[in-house]
Amino acid sequence: MTQPSEKEALARAAVGAPGPQRRTLGRRVRSTVSAYGFLGPAMALVFVFFIAPGILLLILSFTDLSSANFNDPWNIIGFANFERLFTDPFFPKILRNTVFYVFTTLILFNLGLALVLALVTTSIPRRTGFFFRLVWLLPRLTPSVVYILMWRRIGQADPYGIYNQLFPEVLGASGGNLFLGGSPWTFVILTNGFIGASFGMIIFTSALESIPKDLLTAAKVDGASMWRIIRDIKLPLIKWPLLFIATYQTLSLLTSFEYILLLTDGGPGLFTTEVWALTAYKRAFASYAGNSQWAFGATWAIVLVTVALLLAAVYVKLFKFNELIEEPRIENL
Amino acid sequence: MRRKTHSRTLIVLTMAFALVAAACGDADEQTTETVIVEVEVPGETVVVEVEVPAEGELVTLVARCRAKPPIEDGRCNNLLRGVVEANTTLEADGDLRRVQVEIIQDNPDAGDYVTEFELASSTGDAPDIIVAAAINIGTWAASGIIADLTDLLGDYPEFDDITPSLWAAMELNGRRYGVLQDAEARPLYFRKDLLAELGWAQDEIDSLPARLASGEYTWEDMFDTAEEAVAAGVVDPGFGWWPRPKQGPMFLAWYYGAGGSILDDSGALVYDKAAAQIVYELVDDAADRGIILETRLDGDWDSWHNGVAYGNVLFWFGGSWQWAEWAELFLQDLGGEEYLFENVGFGPFPAIAAGANVPTTLTNPFAYMVSSDTEHLDLALLVISKATTKELNTEHAVTSGHLGILTSQADYEPYTNAVFLSEVAPILEFTTFQPNSPFFSAWTEAYYLGIAGVLSGDLTPEEAVDVVVDQLGNELGDNAIIVG
Repeated sequence: MTQPSEKEALARAAVGAPGPQRRTLGRRVRSTVSAYGFLGPAMALVFVFFIAPGILLLILSFTDLSSANFNDPWNIIGFANFERLFTDPFFPKILRNTVFYVFTTLILFNLGLALVLALVTTSIPRRTGFFFRLVWLLPRLTPSVVYILMWRRIGQADPYGIYNQLFPEVLGASGGNLFLGGSPWTFVILTNGFIGASFGMIIFTSALESIPKDLLTAAKVDGASMWRIIRDIKLPLIKWPLLFIATYQTLSLLTSFEYILLLTDGGPGLFTTEVWALTAYKRAFASYAGNSQWAFGATWAIVLVTVALLLAAVYVKLFKFNELIEEPRIENL
Repeated sequence: MRRKTHSRTLIVLTMAFALVAAACGDADEQTTETVIVEVEVPGETVVVEVEVPAEGELVTLVARCRAKPPIEDGRCNNLLRGVVEANTTLEADGDLRRVQVEIIQDNPDAGDYVTEFELASSTGDAPDIIVAAAINIGTWAASGIIADLTDLLGDYPEFDDITPSLWAAMELNGRRYGVLQDAEARPLYFRKDLLAELGWAQDEIDSLPARLASGEYTWEDMFDTAEEAVAAGVVDPGFGWWPRPKQGPMFLAWYYGAGGSILDDSGALVYDKAAAQIVYELVDDAADRGIILETRLDGDWDSWHNGVAYGNVLFWFGGSWQWAEWAELFLQDLGGEEYLFENVGFGPFPAIAAGANVPTTLTNPFAYMVSSDTEHLDLALLVISKATTKELNTEHAVTSGHLGILTSQADYEPYTNAVFLSEVAPILEFTTFQPNSPFFSAWTEAYYLGIAGVLSGDLTPEEAVDVVVDQLGNELGDNAIIVG
């Protein structure tokens, strides 16, 4: 069998006709082996740090393991922990809080502010843009506990909190306790948002910088306004980074709790800022009188992991991520 | 060839003989080895010399302490100081072992500290000795991570000096799992200067502790006074009366004061709805009167200490150990303890007229516990016993504002000379304890939800009771009995 000429291949591609099956078995095996070889280390990490703990969590969630009985053999109690979770009087509130926290932070900061920052810093002189992006990255370079302590010193009640000391009566707050005491959600979302925005900012900046300049120049020559350029050229061309950040940050926010733990510990009041991941942590590891409920904490965690996986599947389907990772058509010739 | 072999044999034999002779010589000359243990803690270095016999063994015990530096450093440092005595005892007994103690002492959050010990125990890395609140005994004894000391305590005469009534806090099902380290009182503090500003006569102010102790001055009276102080501008709105800013043992004393009991005869945990509702109504009343900030239970100790130490709050519930903190860490510039005596008074929590109508307080002693993984239980108890002396315990008590735990301290001059300890100790007449039960953690967290929910305005007192009952049913099922 003679190999088809380059001209023939191009012609087939032009009419969308399939090419002859040229890959031999040996090449396919080699290709598969090398693919798995490259993927191997990452897959091993995923197995050790995600799949194996996930399996352990699942097993643990069917037991009654706690500080009070962890030296005994594991006692399997079926779905009792799941029943307890879904009938918890505060389950609806914690669920609402989680949805509110994840999507408010995501839309306003991790996507919204990140996009604004990327658009602004790529529209000003390059060195100035770089400087501002660097400033926005500072929280990422700061250990999270230090970052939160700095925010606490801003938002604490008078006289410790700088804000409440300087502006005790702004926005009608009483007792000089605006942020941490008076508007804890504002504070939690701002704190998470400012650090969360920097990740999207870097990805969006990189995507925006890679847009061919001639497209933008042509649009300007045609008289397009700045808004039209953003709406009709820049945003469509950074569609994939936008969808990726939306997905990644949703999952990240869903499982993040350390900032809330350090800022408000889920309070003040009755589960005011308590989110799902924080509940899982508290159940498993935080107990004033010393009885940590590890199995029940694992139940909260495994349900959260399941929700996250389902959400990831929905995102992949909704955003058609298979189109992003499909082989370029030229490779199929 | 043969001559060469003989020479080699001779050399080897000579060397072997030389080595044996050298070893014997060393054994003759060196009968003991001195090990100097130097431990630095903030503001202090404790140096301990340990002489180990040549055939003996030097055992290192690890002790873990949660202590606020520098005032509570005595918790672990006293163990170090006990090492010399412990080794003297070992030598006198002809025991060839010698002991030294390595301490790990800092001041983490109580929950983190507890979790750390539990996780360390699960991997076999637990310290030999842990100093923790007695309330942990219920869970730790049930899980078997701390040793049952009941049958061994009698071997150490020092423990006979411990105040008998305090042993109850060390017990689960009649067995003892800890040795008292310190105890505390939880007073109601009040500002004398603010009461005077409000128009109270000096004798009214001076007699307030006695009126609190007799039950004459009640919660209602306290709230009335706080409301008057806010109305008169003596304190800001929300600064009339403060409890501690987060979950803690203090809130259980309110429940006891309202007539609630927590253990039934079978040892099951009880939630008395009527008593709990009285507590929630008090909190609701305080919020309605504007004498406490609705956000006061925000867990912010910084702003809490600032408010109470600098005279911004009229009444507050605190701990005796905080007296030392305020004097040492906040008010040094104003005169320390002298300033406190001049401006701050204290007594038991007032009686709740609608409840048991008796004053209350609560003691949550700290205890030395020994990990069940330790290979040196007897040495651990020996060192603990040598730290349980009136000299060492008094030094810790006076420095940290804790109460003594030994009967011999009652007439020990350095202890009786400590004015604050002498004056606060009578509050123990009204003291209560938390129950040692593996289920108490869930109980107290559910009960506290009601307090937090009412104060923040999320729940009415009636709703709080219902929510807590639901929560207890969900958390403890048949292990909690609802009454009232």
